[in-house]
Amino acid sequence: MLQMSWLIPLFPLLSFILLLLFRKSKSESTAWIGVLLTGISLVMSIGVFLAVWQGEGIKTEGTWFQMGERAITMGFEVNPLNALMLVIVSLVSFLVHLYSKGYMHGDDRFPVFFAYLGLFSFAMLGLVLSPNLLQLYMFWELVGLGSFLLIGFYYFKPEAKAAAKKAFVMTRIGDVGLFIGMVLLFWQVGSFEYDEIFASVKNGDLSSGMLTLTALCIFVGAVGKSGQLPLHTWLPDAMEGPTPVSALIHAATMVAAGVYLVAAMYPLFQASEAALTVVAVVGGLTAIFAASIGLMQKDIKRVLAYSTVSQLGYMMLALGASGYVAGIFHLTTHAFFKALLFLAAGSVIHAVHTQNIEEMGGLWKKLRITGPLFLIGALAISGVPLLSGFFSKDEILASTYADGKYGLFWLAVIAAFMTAFYMFRLFFIVFTGEARGETEKGVHESPGVMTFPMIVLGVLAVVAGYLNTTWFGTFLSDYLAQGAVELPHGDHHGPAWIPLVATLAAALGIALAYLIYQRGTLSRDWITRSLPSLSDVIYNKWYIDEGYDQTVVKGTRGLSKLGVLFDRYIVDGLVTAVTTGVQRLGRVGSRVQNGQVQSYGTAAIFGIVILLLIVALTGGYFS
Amino acid sequence: MDLDTLLSFKWSVMAPEFIILGVATLLSVIDLFMKKESSRTPLAWLAGAGVIGALAAIFMQLDTEVTSILFDTYRLDSFSKAFKILLLLGTLLVLVLASNDKKEDVEENRGEFYYLLLAALLGAMMMASSADLITLFVGLELLSLSSYIMAGLERQNKRSNESAFKYVVSGGIATAITLFGMSYVFGLTGETNLFLIAQTMQDPELLKHSFLLMFAFLITFAGLTFKIAAAPLHMWAPDVYEGAPVPVTAFLSVVSKTAGFVILLRFIIITFIAAPGIDSESLLLEVQPYVMALAAATMIIGNVTALRQRNIKRMFAYSSIAQAGYILVPFVSNSSLLFELIWFYLLAYLFMNIGAFTIIQVLSVQEKSNDISIFRGLFKRSPWLAVPMTFFLLSLAGIPITAGFVGKFGIFMGALGLEPAHYWLAAVMMATTLVSYVYYFNVIAVMFFRDSERTRVSVPRGMAAVLAFCAVSTILLGIMPDLALDFFYGNFDINEFFMNIEAVDTHTHDH
Repeated sequence: MLQMSWLIPLFPLLSFILLLLFRKSKSESTAWIGVLLTGISLVMSIGVFLAVWQGEGIKTEGTWFQMGERAITMGFEVNPLNALMLVIVSLVSFLVHLYSKGYMHGDDRFPVFFAYLGLFSFAMLGLVLSPNLLQLYMFWELVGLGSFLLIGFYYFKPEAKAAAKKAFVMTRIGDVGLFIGMVLLFWQVGSFEYDEIFASVKNGDLSSGMLTLTALCIFVGAVGKSGQLPLHTWLPDAMEGPTPVSALIHAATMVAAGVYLVAAMYPLFQASEAALTVVAVVGGLTAIFAASIGLMQKDIKRVLAYSTVSQLGYMMLALGASGYVAGIFHLTTHAFFKALLFLAAGSVIHAVHTQNIEEMGGLWKKLRITGPLFLIGALAISGVPLLSGFFSKDEILASTYADGKYGLFWLAVIAAFMTAFYMFRLFFIVFTGEARGETEKGVHESPGVMTFPMIVLGVLAVVAGYLNTTWFGTFLSDYLAQGAVELPHGDHHGPAWIPLVATLAAALGIALAYLIYQRGTLSRDWITRSLPSLSDVIYNKWYIDEGYDQTVVKGTRGLSKLGVLFDRYIVDGLVTAVTTGVQRLGRVGSRVQNGQVQSYGTAAIFGIVILLLIVALTGGYFS
Repeated sequence: MDLDTLLSFKWSVMAPEFIILGVATLLSVIDLFMKKESSRTPLAWLAGAGVIGALAAIFMQLDTEVTSILFDTYRLDSFSKAFKILLLLGTLLVLVLASNDKKEDVEENRGEFYYLLLAALLGAMMMASSADLITLFVGLELLSLSSYIMAGLERQNKRSNESAFKYVVSGGIATAITLFGMSYVFGLTGETNLFLIAQTMQDPELLKHSFLLMFAFLITFAGLTFKIAAAPLHMWAPDVYEGAPVPVTAFLSVVSKTAGFVILLRFIIITFIAAPGIDSESLLLEVQPYVMALAAATMIIGNVTALRQRNIKRMFAYSSIAQAGYILVPFVSNSSLLFELIWFYLLAYLFMNIGAFTIIQVLSVQEKSNDISIFRGLFKRSPWLAVPMTFFLLSLAGIPITAGFVGKFGIFMGALGLEPAHYWLAAVMMATTLVSYVYYFNVIAVMFFRDSERTRVSVPRGMAAVLAFCAVSTILLGIMPDLALDFFYGNFDINEFFMNIEAVDTHTHDH
């Protein structure tokens, strides 16, 4: 089984190629190609996972190319961490394929959508199977490309086009960090292989400064992909893509790739206390910051998007606080309940044709399957006991506390309160109360092809938590302990009051949302009224986008303008004195030309003269 | 020099050059006897056959040891073979591109282009084989003069005329600067043979003039940046690329640029490798900061200015400036992998750039415009053009699974793998690459994310072949770079580049 695991990514690739060939087809049964092929990947992934569960593993490699004396290798590897990822990715991809069959019904470019889904799934599965950083990096970029195509799928919307470009360029900023970190490691260690890098780290071949530098460079890559502060702004905009895409890419897989990267490189991070602290602080701040923005958004998908950013922050916080298992655990449970929430949101949008929650209401009675499933997702993410999110979030809080990061611990608790509040704000506005506007007429439940994937995810959102509990069994941490990472501190079983505090925070959030949005005991705008300036800042997403516009975007534009101006005017201006002199003397040539060639020539000479002057001054000729 | 000496040379060394020379002469004679109205396409086929013949000749020479003739002015070594292959391959693709470029006007239907192209190629090949300042310069001028005329071949087109004029003037200035620098080198060493110059450089007497030597280096280097379109002599490129016919633009941006790197490597590396610096042992190390600054400036100017271009040909001109900056990185950082990195990148660049220009040519002829909007909705209209174009753009941007990625990856590794590592140069390269994503992806977005009422695009068969070849090579070299690298390592021994055979003997005899 394990020898065949390299086939897993190839089925979605095949689906991509086949569907591109059938892209003109009007038949919607083309979707079954994608569903079937990702289904095969899913079955194989589960097989691989079961084999790894029994303690197996594999790594196969061959030389890719030789540059000078260095051989660059390629291959695949299966270990506990990536076997788990394989299952998550192929499962969510399979369910999303199925769901899209119903959701994308009637779209002109139906087969193209499934083709792009295939390309993305291929890249994501390839990323997970990579045994070295270079190969990971290559798939990492391909994943970005797939996401670019999918976010921009509704290209007739200018916002979608802009969002696709923004997502691509923003995450690339992170990739620069990853690339630099990767190449630096190569020259320190002489290899891109994970295990060789870890061996060198263990031997102490790298100076502590270099350890921190490379770890942070790699973390920058993770920050970009996982939408952490300050590179998070692309993720909410990416919601312009079709909703199944949001569920697949922006909830369960691609954005989790950043967390996966840190986890895959964990021994490197463990070697640098400073790097771990940075990871924890960035994660913790992202968690609370994004949660605060989620409080006031009016677009159902944007609330979920900020919630994703915030939950990814939790995972980073866990990893930074030596809670390796907690981070992976939350990644797993989050993949299920967040994909569920997105699909349920998609089902709602499918029914009411709007994303603005203020135009929704009273949908509970009309959407008899979606409603309860959304509630399950909301309960799970809020950390209500006995559901999956409760266990994983509790573990994160416990590791943060055990690691002595008390400040971050309390931040995380407050963020948990906010999470419960915004999720139930969403729930009460959308599903209870009176029907508003559009929702009056023609609302109907989604077809079975859409509800089935949601039911599967709903079940998982409830039970996935029992993978790792103190009283039921620590299956996940035993399983991950087979991997390359030496688990820190063992299990974190902090004081017994931590689950109580977490539950209390969740309950408070839900209760407050209930009082405001269901009972109406508290006026909806009492916060806005009591703290107008703060809520203004939050509503405008802390003005981060505006900040980037004012600084980076304007700066680059300015630089670019400067380049043009430099070419056109400054050079001209500098040399006009000379050229006009020449022109006046000769009065020739100017009829054919506009005087620019002369300026080019003069600029070149000036350039060289200046260069020589600098050399003369700095080169010590006069000293 | 008597007849015996002349006959004693191994003229077979120059076989590829003779083939090109012969075909070019033949073409000009045939053209003379052809009717004014008849199609000139047969000339293109003949020229193509000549180039293929020359390529075959080089492949037969692969096993030949280092040989030099004409008193070591002309040599056949691994370096010359490796880069001649690039020059010939590039010219061949440009020929196919040009032969499909149907001219409606009889007046424009001329055969000159083909033999001028071969003459330019001959100049470039001479540069690859020269070991003497004189032959090097003659090759350079042969290439330049032919290119000037080619740029102005569309006589009815004002822009083409303007382009040629600007090219001549800027080129003249560049030549003057280069010669000025070379004259210093000659003045200081009294030799024109590159290897003898290198020997004389070690003369302790020269230490007194080490500052002049540095001047000579910088002036010559600056002059040579003209051909590769790098700072400070880059400003001609956008105007000339925009005005010249597309096949000529493709030639200038690929073959002529490759030739520029050839002369840069030949002249600078051989002559200055052992040159003394002012304070230290090595001049090359001492000038490094300045040359690096130029490379960085080239990358920044090219990429940042490309952002604002609406005209696709201008955008590609700035992109080509930026690419020259990337290729300068291994050169200025004296990477040990210098030759293979530059060779591989130029090979990748050849495919991606000629491929992209082919599509630009097809679209601009059909739409009669060079605005970026000619790409609108291309994926829907003609996916078989949009998909290869995407490959080329991804490769130019350096995205994985393309040849451009491997090339850039190698350059980056080279820059960081040295002691001391060139962090800031690598950082500039990464940052500007990031900027380049914006304009390359803009074209991709226009192709995929726009609708257009425009009709399908028809592609002539020859161009389709070029496109397919370039697209497949771009991807293949991205997936299996070993195809090219193994060929390079298997056939070329770059130590030959520095091997100074018989130079001393023959030369002293001659004196």
